[in-house]
Amino acid sequence: MQQIILTVNGEKVEALAEPRTHLGDFLREQQRLTGTHLGCEHGVCGACTVLIDGQPARSCISYAVACEGREVRTIEGFGDDAVMNELRAAFNKYHALQCGFCTPGMLIAARDLVLRVPDADEKRIRVEMSGNLCRCTGYMGIVRAVKSVIDARRAVNDPQIEAAPAAAPAAFTPFQAAAPAAPPAVPPTVPPTAAASAAPAPAAPAAAPAAKKPGTVIEDEFTVDHPLARVWEIFADMPAVAACLPGAEISEHTPTSLKGRITTKFGPMRAAFAGTAALERDEAVKSGAIRGNGTDSLSGSRARGDISYRLHDAGGGRTRVTVAIDYSLQGPLAQFSRGGLVKEFVKKMVADFAANLNARLGAPAGSAAAAAPAAQVDAGGFFWTWLWGRIKSLFGAK
Amino acid sequence: MKAAAFEYVRPADLAGAVKALAGMPGEAKPLGGGQSLGPMLNLRLARPKLLVDVSRLESMRAIEDRGSLWRIGGAVTHSAIEDASLPGGEPLSSVARGIAYRTIRNRGTIGGSLAHADPAADWPLALPALGAEVVIAGPGGERRVTAATFMHGAFATALAEDELVVAVEVPKLSAGARWGYWKFCRKTGEFPEASAAVLLDAQRKVARLWVGALNGAPQPMEALAADLAQRGGLAASEDAVSRALERVAPDLDPAQRRLHITAVRRAVQQATE
Ligand SMILES: Cc1cc2nc3c(=O)[nH]c(=O)nc-3n(C[C@H](O)[C@H](O)[C@H](O)COP(=O)(O)OP(=O)(O)OC[C@H]3O[C@@H](n4cnc5c(N)ncnc54)[C@H](O)[C@@H]3O)c2cc1C
Ligand code: FES
Ligand code: FES
Repeated sequence: MQQIILTVNGEKVEALAEPRTHLGDFLREQQRLTGTHLGCEHGVCGACTVLIDGQPARSCISYAVACEGREVRTIEGFGDDAVMNELRAAFNKYHALQCGFCTPGMLIAARDLVLRVPDADEKRIRVEMSGNLCRCTGYMGIVRAVKSVIDARRAVNDPQIEAAPAAAPAAFTPFQAAAPAAPPAVPPTVPPTAAASAAPAPAAPAAAPAAKKPGTVIEDEFTVDHPLARVWEIFADMPAVAACLPGAEISEHTPTSLKGRITTKFGPMRAAFAGTAALERDEAVKSGAIRGNGTDSLSGSRARGDISYRLHDAGGGRTRVTVAIDYSLQGPLAQFSRGGLVKEFVKKMVADFAANLNARLGAPAGSAAAAAPAAQVDAGGFFWTWLWGRIKSLFGAK
Repeated sequence: MKAAAFEYVRPADLAGAVKALAGMPGEAKPLGGGQSLGPMLNLRLARPKLLVDVSRLESMRAIEDRGSLWRIGGAVTHSAIEDASLPGGEPLSSVARGIAYRTIRNRGTIGGSLAHADPAADWPLALPALGAEVVIAGPGGERRVTAATFMHGAFATALAEDELVVAVEVPKLSAGARWGYWKFCRKTGEFPEASAAVLLDAQRKVARLWVGALNGAPQPMEALAADLAQRGGLAASEDAVSRALERVAPDLDPAQRRLHITAVRRAVQQATE
């Protein structure tokens, strides 16, 4: 608990707050100001909008301790505010609310708009109010209400605020650009250091997933500098496979199933998916599958992934491994991980796996190098972005 | 959801902030406006032990005219940049205006946005296109990295755990310089699905074209930019853009490709018509 002093609706408030208590909870639970509504609690809906030092802000992603010394104003604090009263009347008149859940946030955002952009037209009103979601009204009434207040104020105030026509930019004239001063963002060729090497041959499809489930499919491949029989053998050794997958731990396993968890790091985000997987192997065609499900209990994110692999003799005592990974992600992590990011992340796992597998197979049994550390997968890392860029450019993009 | 417990400190100066971060390696995170960290904390996707609030550090809150460039403190909010009058730095205000919503812009900071390094975010695209430099402070003092090399990948940057973005320095545009910026967003204020920025500054002989909202960091299209300078918008034919995109982002799916090609062409159109 930390002692904080701030002003709420004009009154000095001294209180104790846990650092993790966001301003919205502080206002509702400790100050009993329940006019501030909480919807999504992660900055998307705008229901929790309050003023901090006169500027609208989302109280769900502002922490109370960070508001020390600030002036906070909630919907309860606008009793005699002229603009707010006009907005209230207009909201009433134009049916700008139904259940009222979004209304406190709408009103505070609208008041800011009326004062900040006194000449906003309908389009601008829609853009400016787009950070506040309403599940009931369809927005027509809200936009009309805000517009009516702006129009009424313009009629009384100053009809001269017609914006001066913006100066047209000068016409474009061609020129010769100097060579770019800044080096390109992606570092150019650096000799590869990982043991994994890409095979130039086109990827043969890996064992097809049994039934088509909705998800994203990634196909990938890598080559291991060891004969097929040896690689096939290690793929059956689940603890060894897990040791090659950074962040993976196995708690129990049988030849056909396993229990365990995989810890991942995605920039600042961390998740530890605990779950089970079913294992399949087809000796005849040297292919197999690992079908898993897991949950990150702290965030409530869920992941499902079917990994199908197939080994091919690449000649010269080398084995080409083709993999197809069909996965889906649900819950909070999914909201942050737009498709492409997860794709890159999964590819990074495959790359790490390949490198570790090679290292492990290359090392004499029982040596320290044979036991790859169960570190976390660090998505977004510099090295793998580069590595994969290179590997892809080697055999052309899909 | 509610954040997991963490400690909170608000050091009085930059040295104190760096010290607090260095004191808990890997467990402490700077807190800017909290507009990206807050959601991750509330969803328990990020679980740092300590937040070091840098949002009030005076030295990081100034917008300064340094003659040939604008120096924007790392804790300056998007809305402060939106509202500022920045001759020669007009694109900064227009880019700021397009970030999220005013309520987010009032707290979110330029340093926080760069450090967060979301591939689809605005500053990591606009600042390299403007030729900016990022000023970084850490236990070893100050260092500089070009905005073009600052971001290494999705959520990955040049910053060490105990380093802060204290400022960005943005060269002023010459009179007559042309800027184009285009984003495709599903909904106003959401992160874009494709984005592009173009700068054509004849006096300084600068031509830059960057494409964003890729799977990793935004990428430059240098040859196409040089061609644009010489031939104007004609250089950005569907075909030429498609080929340039293939080079920097070979693994986009067909729908993404379409969006990115169009974003680039619209940004070019703004800068050349
Ligand atoms: C609904 C919504 C929509 C959004 N839409 C967009 C959009 O369209 N475009 C866009 O660009 N952004 C968007 N954002 C993100 C917004 O711009 C954030 O303000 C920004 O990404 C982070 O800035 P912040 O100051 O809030 O950083 P914080 O959330 O406080 O921190 C983000 C990260 O940076 C670190 N950090 C913070 N400050 C510093 C510093 N000075 N030095 C080093 N590290 C630091 C933190 O430790 C953390 O890891 C959106 C956010 C939300 C909630
Ligand atoms: S509750 Fe704060 S934005 Fe939804
Ligand atoms: S009135 Fe019900 S959410 Fe807006």
